[in-house]
Amino acid sequence: MSTDLPVPDFEALFEGAPCGLVVTTQDGLILRSNRIFCEWLGFKQSELQERRFQTLLTMGGRIFHQTHWAPLMQMQGSVAEVKLDFLHRDGRTVTMLLNGVRRDHANGAFYELALFGTTDRDSYERELLSARKHAEELLREKTAVESALRQTKADLNVAYEKSQRRALFAEQMVAIASHDLKNPLTAIGMATDMLAQGERSTREAKLLEHIARSSNRAQRMIADLLDLALARVGNGIGVTHSAADLHEVVHGSVSELRLAFPDAAIRHQSIGMGHVELDADRIQQLVGNLVANSVAYGDPHQPITIISMLESGIATVSVQNWGSVIPGSAMGSLFEPMTRHSARDDEVRSVGLGLFIVREAHGGDVSVSSDTAGGTIFTASFPATPSNGLS
Amino acid sequence: MDLCHRNNVTVHGDGPATLIFSHGFGCDQTMWNYLYLHFTERFRVVMYDHVGAGRSDLSAYDSEKYNALAGYAADLSEIIDMYAVGPVILVSHSVSAMIGALADRLVPGRITAHVMVGPSPCYIDSGDYVGGFKLEDIHSLLDTLDSNYLGWSSTMAPVIMRAPGQPALSEELTNSFCRTEPDIAKQFARVTFMSDNRADIAGLLTPTLILQSTEDLIAPVAVGEYLHAALPASTLCLVPNVGHCPHMSSPSACSDAMDVFLLPWAGVHVN
Repeated sequence: MSTDLPVPDFEALFEGAPCGLVVTTQDGLILRSNRIFCEWLGFKQSELQERRFQTLLTMGGRIFHQTHWAPLMQMQGSVAEVKLDFLHRDGRTVTMLLNGVRRDHANGAFYELALFGTTDRDSYERELLSARKHAEELLREKTAVESALRQTKADLNVAYEKSQRRALFAEQMVAIASHDLKNPLTAIGMATDMLAQGERSTREAKLLEHIARSSNRAQRMIADLLDLALARVGNGIGVTHSAADLHEVVHGSVSELRLAFPDAAIRHQSIGMGHVELDADRIQQLVGNLVANSVAYGDPHQPITIISMLESGIATVSVQNWGSVIPGSAMGSLFEPMTRHSARDDEVRSVGLGLFIVREAHGGDVSVSSDTAGGTIFTASFPATPSNGLS
Repeated sequence: MDLCHRNNVTVHGDGPATLIFSHGFGCDQTMWNYLYLHFTERFRVVMYDHVGAGRSDLSAYDSEKYNALAGYAADLSEIIDMYAVGPVILVSHSVSAMIGALADRLVPGRITAHVMVGPSPCYIDSGDYVGGFKLEDIHSLLDTLDSNYLGWSSTMAPVIMRAPGQPALSEELTNSFCRTEPDIAKQFARVTFMSDNRADIAGLLTPTLILQSTEDLIAPVAVGEYLHAALPASTLCLVPNVGHCPHMSSPSACSDAMDVFLLPWAGVHVN
């Protein structure tokens, strides 16, 4: 028992196949084309007879045909997946994918071509292509930006090194100048002392006192400048410890400061025992700077209070004034050199190094609090080794 | 520099003069397969691939050097120096004809004669000159190349289907013929079709045989006639052929015309 299958209608298959089918001579003359192919291009089948296949292509497609797939058909007998743009009768472009084989016969060969509409896929591929071009463009831009950035960084480094060298030079100048100014100032101070020992008129005595005070102040400023220079370009500010009494050292500086600032009311309180290992010069400088600062910025009608204290191995020296409250925004830069927080300009102003020296010099901690209730208090605290033997 | 590797130079046959076969845009030296064997008994035959085409060394492709035909002409000049024996006759297809003219200008007298197959000194119409194309046609070609090379992976030629009754081609051949890196193909297309070498060929005195197809989209008959007029020592030979590759589709018509032209330099007379 066998079922009789109907014989396929090959003619109908050729005409109605779901792809374009075209048979041409080797030079492209269309011998036969199926209905679908003609419909896709808007032609009647009879119109395509005896036309050259390549004349249905866009100019780019025709050049491509001549330079690529015609030689391929000749050479290899087949091509596949060649994408071609055809011109529809109404002028629009129809994109098709071409597979073709050469079938040899006695007098030459036929080219048998199958074509598949691929317009949608083509537009997708074109999107991919333009996306790739865009990506390549972006990559080029990115590369250019990166190289510009590298150049800028290199320029910046050069500029930075240059400014570093200039800053170092300036600081060295400060160190040299302040060092060299010490001797003439000491000479002025000594000469003034010697002159003051003789018999002087009231006016002369007053002038001499003026000279003494001014040269003292100049010496303090020079010392500050030297410390700044050491902190910046040297190995930091040196500290030499020896056994001393904290309270006595502070008291000594307070006495000197009272002479230096005769209009200010400077008070000193000491709490606890005072025998420790410390650098007396530095403590004096510390007190001097904090008091000078308080004179500069404090309320001139209110006292400046200094408290020296030794407790649990920590030495503290605090200086309180009643100037206007330091705004929070200024706190951060308070200890930087050349920083001033007052427009007041009088005799007691230094060059703005005071607080910087205070923090750099003694190796401990300096804090500041400022409010209307407690006034402005600078507190320097540092570990203090108790010393033996000194009464 | 290893020219053999760079340009995939192959040498065949022997004779007192050298024929150098230089392929055009699109394929490689295998396009001469229907023609070159005809000459190997009388000539030393040298064939090569342009850098970027066929089995040339792609790493030698320098987009600056090959941004003008002069780059290809310099290569040809080197190949002549290294491989040519006796008088040099350049057999060039399409754009290679102009590469040959440039190489001729580079070292006058070095190339004894030209056989130009489908040559064109300028593809784009300008003024009275008819090259056959408009600028937008060339853009249309670049676009077609773009969309085809997107479909092909960068190192593959279009898929080859075995045709009925055709012997299978060696894998070597199928893999190299018409294979071009997409970027290189596009640049070569631009350099080829945008070039204008009319000033370079004007008055070139080297004997030249122009093989002109009777029907050729890329190099129309009018262009062959223009060249014939511009080259004082030229012979224009019309080959009955449709298409740009008469050396492939009408090889015997080409070799007949060449035999006559090459007679003065041939080693052994053809029957």
